[in-house]
Amino acid sequence: MKKSIRIVAIIALAALAALAVMSAAADDGAAINGYVRSKVGALVDGGDYFIAENVLDLRLSYTLGAAGFYANPVLYERDGAVLPVELREAYIDMRGDLLDVRVGKQQIIWGKGDGVFITDIVSPKDLSQFLIPDFEELRLAVTGAKINLHAGTHGLELAWLPWFTPSVTPSATGIWAPTMPFATTPTIQSGTLPGFNLGNSEYFARYSWMGSSFDVSLMGGWFWNDTPAYKVVSLGPLTVKPEYYQLAAGGYAVSGALGPFILRSEGAFYGNKRFQGNPMVYPDGYAEKNEIQYLVGSDFSVAGYNFGVQFIQDIILDHEDDLVDDAVKNTATFVVAKTFLRDTLTVEVFSYVGLAAPDALIKPKVTLDVSDGLEVFAGAYIFLGDSGDFGQYDENDGVYAGAKLSF
Amino acid sequence: MKYYRNALILLAALALTAVTAATAEPTGLSVMQAVYDRPQGKDMSGLLTMTLVDAKGKERVRSIKQILGTFGAVDKKLMVFQSPADVRGTSFMNWSYAEAGKSDDQWIYLPALKRVKRISSEGRGDYFMGSDFTYDDLGDRHPSADNHMLTGTETIDGDPCWVVESVPKNPADLYSRTVTWVSKEKSVGVKRDYYDKRGALQKTLRVSSVEFISGVWIIKKTEMHNVQKGTSTRMEFTDVKINTGIADGSFSELAMTRGL
Repeated sequence: MKKSIRIVAIIALAALAALAVMSAAADDGAAINGYVRSKVGALVDGGDYFIAENVLDLRLSYTLGAAGFYANPVLYERDGAVLPVELREAYIDMRGDLLDVRVGKQQIIWGKGDGVFITDIVSPKDLSQFLIPDFEELRLAVTGAKINLHAGTHGLELAWLPWFTPSVTPSATGIWAPTMPFATTPTIQSGTLPGFNLGNSEYFARYSWMGSSFDVSLMGGWFWNDTPAYKVVSLGPLTVKPEYYQLAAGGYAVSGALGPFILRSEGAFYGNKRFQGNPMVYPDGYAEKNEIQYLVGSDFSVAGYNFGVQFIQDIILDHEDDLVDDAVKNTATFVVAKTFLRDTLTVEVFSYVGLAAPDALIKPKVTLDVSDGLEVFAGAYIFLGDSGDFGQYDENDGVYAGAKLSF
Repeated sequence: MKYYRNALILLAALALTAVTAATAEPTGLSVMQAVYDRPQGKDMSGLLTMTLVDAKGKERVRSIKQILGTFGAVDKKLMVFQSPADVRGTSFMNWSYAEAGKSDDQWIYLPALKRVKRISSEGRGDYFMGSDFTYDDLGDRHPSADNHMLTGTETIDGDPCWVVESVPKNPADLYSRTVTWVSKEKSVGVKRDYYDKRGALQKTLRVSSVEFISGVWIIKKTEMHNVQKGTSTRMEFTDVKINTGIADGSFSELAMTRGL
């Protein structure tokens, strides 16, 4: 604990010193914001803690004319251990009338779906606790350069990422370890990340237009898959090695208003994506197939309650029976939210429903703004079903509570 | 000769019409139309400070930078929250159209999600950010939405006003009627009472400061008091600038994400 206090103090002092220097350099544009949050949670079965976490999240920014920088160091103390300081984002911005340039570690968020990542393929995810954390904390930053060309309500976004950042997968021994796509438990060798060279760069582009009645965006990318495929090294005993691979994708996102309904759709085509299969049929343990993912959804309000519903479909083209995944996977999401007491009390329930198993993840949450900047919250994670993306965690139902002070 | 006689009769008739028009009282509709048509400037920027006061007198303060512009038949508004800390960077954009019956377009940007999301503008009766103002209260309600009746004149803080009672044509509207005191000199509504569905007084709006800036009457301070709940919301506009040449491109997805 003393160590964590020392580290927090060092970060705070460094931030204040940086702010003082920045403020001395110019009167405008220096700011330090962030939040402190404490959160505890326990599994319903047995009452074991699954999360005991304190977070100091600092947002440092400085603007000088058309240029600026932003840094977001985050310090976690989790389950009594202080984790290394995480630099969630750190970049330099240059703004112009026709184009903006951002260089550094940054989150790039695309798409119009809620809780679904069909065209949101630039920033990888931290899935170490599955989909439990807030979406803000699920996303990881990527390192590279991004250019935004803009003309009125038209925008073109180009991103070049010379350094690959993979998604974080759950620990193989933790409670969020997913079911492996093999009949027997394999020995997993350590994988290697793509080396740092120009040929391994990732490229993304998105055109977007915002208009009366509807918005549309078109995207494409040549990139590394954020989660690895498992290549079979040996069949006896079964040994696999995680392998990252490059693929291409192109897609669209559109949303529009129709009377009281907001309608949206998002879809993408992924070329040569790898799907795990029976090692006796596929010597590498996987097959390359094209895939289509899309969603259709709507937001609407009834009697002050805000509802959102989405239907998501994944289709593996040229599917073969020996693949682990089904040819078609259907998922739905539902959200209902309402505020009370002049927007100081918010009640929200977000849920994923797998339509095949069926299975579900239900996430109710209540947030109370005690005063400006101070909120207390409580919520739960409820998994239903015995198998599938959500049912596999049926033993992991949990409850949590905490407080957050923003400054 | 006959030609000259007819011409004199026509001139006399025109003169009589002009005198009658000059001395006649306006109608409720013409007063509210004048408020609606009052020059707003091509664009405006400023800082809005919104103070929410609950029934116990506890205050919460929101600070919002905003820009507004008119482009053809479209009025565009972008609001970016500066404080409190937990909503800093949140932005809200509205495009409203002169075309009758065309709904507004609205978007919201939440920094935590880093994504601009289109939202429905149908909830005109919803309260804006926990305040005592509904979205409809804050917008420019077209005079054709109500039946108006001029009920008299009254002086408010030394300012001679027309008093106009307006009854919504749509019975589903939030209020059963409103009564507005409109400054004769400025064509600005300086006071308004809102009556609920049962006909009981629900809210009162008072404008306490109006300034003439760059040829435009600007409401600087206003307060909405919910007399039934005992809550109130004060709004104050500062650093107001008119006609500075805000471009259409300032009302875009990129502008929402990077703020003002």
